[in-house]
Amino acid sequence: MTQSSRSRLTRRSVLKGGLGLALATTALTAIGLPVPARAAGKKVIIGAFADGGLTPFKQKIIPLAKDAGFDIEFLEDEYGVTLEKWFADAKNSAGQYDLYLLDDPWVPQFGAANVLEDLGAAGIDGSDKDWIGSMIDMGYWPPQKGARVKGFETATPTLICVPFVGDLQTLTYRNDVYTSGAPKTWDEVIAKGKEGVAAGKIKYPVVFRGVSGNPIVTSWYPVFLSFGGSFFDDKWNPIFNSAEGKASADFFVGTMKQNAPSGVVEFDSDQEGAAILGGDAGAIIQYSGNALKADDPTQTKVAGKLDFGVVPKQTSAIAQMGIFIAGIPKSAPNKANSVEFLKWYVSADIQAKLSEAGSIPVKRSAFGIAKPGNRLIPVALQQLDAGALPRPRTPDWAKVEELLGIELNKALQAGSGGGAALDNAAKQVKDYLSSVGYY
Amino acid sequence: MAKGGTQSRKYRLQGAGLDLALPYLMLAPGLLIVLGVLVYPLWDGLRASTEAYRYGSVVANVGMQNYIKLWSDPQFLNALWVTVKFVALSVTFEAILGFALALFCLREFRGIRLLRTILIIPMVITPVVVAIVFRLIYASDAGMLTAISEWMGGGQVQILGSPVKAFFGLVVLDVWEWTPLMFLILLAGLQSLPHEPFEAARVDGAGNWRVFADLTFPMMRPVLAIAIVLRTIDAFGTFDQVFVLTRGGPGEATRLVSIYGYDTAFKFQQTGYAAALFVTIGLVVLALAFSAVRLLRRVDAS
Repeated sequence: MTQSSRSRLTRRSVLKGGLGLALATTALTAIGLPVPARAAGKKVIIGAFADGGLTPFKQKIIPLAKDAGFDIEFLEDEYGVTLEKWFADAKNSAGQYDLYLLDDPWVPQFGAANVLEDLGAAGIDGSDKDWIGSMIDMGYWPPQKGARVKGFETATPTLICVPFVGDLQTLTYRNDVYTSGAPKTWDEVIAKGKEGVAAGKIKYPVVFRGVSGNPIVTSWYPVFLSFGGSFFDDKWNPIFNSAEGKASADFFVGTMKQNAPSGVVEFDSDQEGAAILGGDAGAIIQYSGNALKADDPTQTKVAGKLDFGVVPKQTSAIAQMGIFIAGIPKSAPNKANSVEFLKWYVSADIQAKLSEAGSIPVKRSAFGIAKPGNRLIPVALQQLDAGALPRPRTPDWAKVEELLGIELNKALQAGSGGGAALDNAAKQVKDYLSSVGYY
Repeated sequence: MAKGGTQSRKYRLQGAGLDLALPYLMLAPGLLIVLGVLVYPLWDGLRASTEAYRYGSVVANVGMQNYIKLWSDPQFLNALWVTVKFVALSVTFEAILGFALALFCLREFRGIRLLRTILIIPMVITPVVVAIVFRLIYASDAGMLTAISEWMGGGQVQILGSPVKAFFGLVVLDVWEWTPLMFLILLAGLQSLPHEPFEAARVDGAGNWRVFADLTFPMMRPVLAIAIVLRTIDAFGTFDQVFVLTRGGPGEATRLVSIYGYDTAFKFQQTGYAAALFVTIGLVVLALAFSAVRLLRRVDAS
């Protein structure tokens, strides 16, 4: 046999090569497959979005859960992608998660799609008087109180989620600038903040989030509520462009912008966190994520100079609630474990441990413990008692927030025209809700 | 005896048309894969574009309504306009810069190989990483531009908070990342041109500009057209960089159709409407590519 005939490409050599390649691929795939680990306990796969508000849970409660026999797998994602990722998981019955730690405005979306387990039927008592009422209410779909969207007018409210970490907005302020305690009104926030700037203690009286969409709406919302605004009437007509709403928007894009960093239009939570923890800003309304870092000298330049209070008022001091709320998808691979975990987690004992760890609990008894792990916790209870409202319970909140957020962001860029922005947004919201059959 | 039996069996199979069917049978696995991963998703997308979704489920077949609605949706029209501006500006700058760099790097001098390698680095970096780097450059509070400006005695540099600057900031990012692709394609084209016409022109005393205008550019037109078509198609689908850098803001200044479609499909769960949007954009891009190819043929013919 000559050299050339030996190296000739024949059908047999191609088939042999193909078979070899297929076998090698199969072997490599088998090596790469996850090896089923010996169960270290009752497996629960938790999906969460990255947020400082969950740090005490991760650091203190997950180890306790392991001691209690749960094998917790904690999967974190960036906030902006979790909603679509989990919704696709639930809708396609992919079974990648046992528990979603949702942002509460997402509950209606999951509820309307009927993809979450009935937790009441699974034995979780939604009528337990120890729940913070306004928090457990957010776990029902359709809502027990208030307006309902079309198609769900007569449906029986079902407990599809339970509050997990009780977050809500409060005021964080510099105690060396606001020396007589938490500023009570917005005028006081600005006036004393300017004095702080003049004294060289801070660079800006306030800081907030200006990025279009969810960030700017979240920052504007407590201002809007404190000016006495309401978002929808009981027929889902937008009424946020009322006189009160417009006054709040004008104040937000005008006065507040003038007293905030010049780049506030592009600020999201990382930049506003850096401004308050870095010692540049005098006051901020924020959720607990950055507030929990206020006493940690490794995370703030002004440890000991940050105090908490209820949000300032114009006519009332109402904050926005934005809790982490847990739901079990119908496709969860370890459903029974998840229900058991939730029952364990919301028990008074574990909620007290959560409070000790520094997180805002979801049961009232846990607010009363001797040593809450963070100074923010009693202030959060004060805020709950002063007033805290969830965002409107509609599955279309994401779109509404987007439309409003774009208009508010445009007005913030201009530094004026907040009222007109609300008029534009109200028209767009009305058109959109009409197009999806609200009226 | 055994050999004779095998022979007759072979003839029988041949008679039954095995030889005719064999090529198709061998093609079948590949064909099935193409049907599964290419044709089915396309068909499913087309089907979805004629349906209305609520809460993640189909509620009605609406025919062409989703397509009609697109043209009265100000958000879509704005996103389309922003995308067209973005693609036109980015691809133009990339073509000019890429061509200039390719002409420069055509020469042989010490260090040219290293320079060519360095020039293609941006396009091999993951787009998300590029966007993060540019965010760190553009950020008004702690960005590199602000740091330089403050060091020179100036104030904060606002890029991402201004609609016009944010848009151009995005164009700069795209040009930085994708000029190397243009450069690479055009350099390959330049290297493949025949030497004789250029030598003849030099002998006739033609200067650099004359050689470029009368020889290089006309001969490079087909390659340039291909590079532009490829980049245009790609630029229409830009997503990662915008998602990380601006999320479409401020306002709607950088909201490309890809971002709007993504939000519509996944955030607002209007799957059918988003499918119609993407089919429409697909057709626009297809039309562009088709026109470019026809143009190319005409150039070739002339």
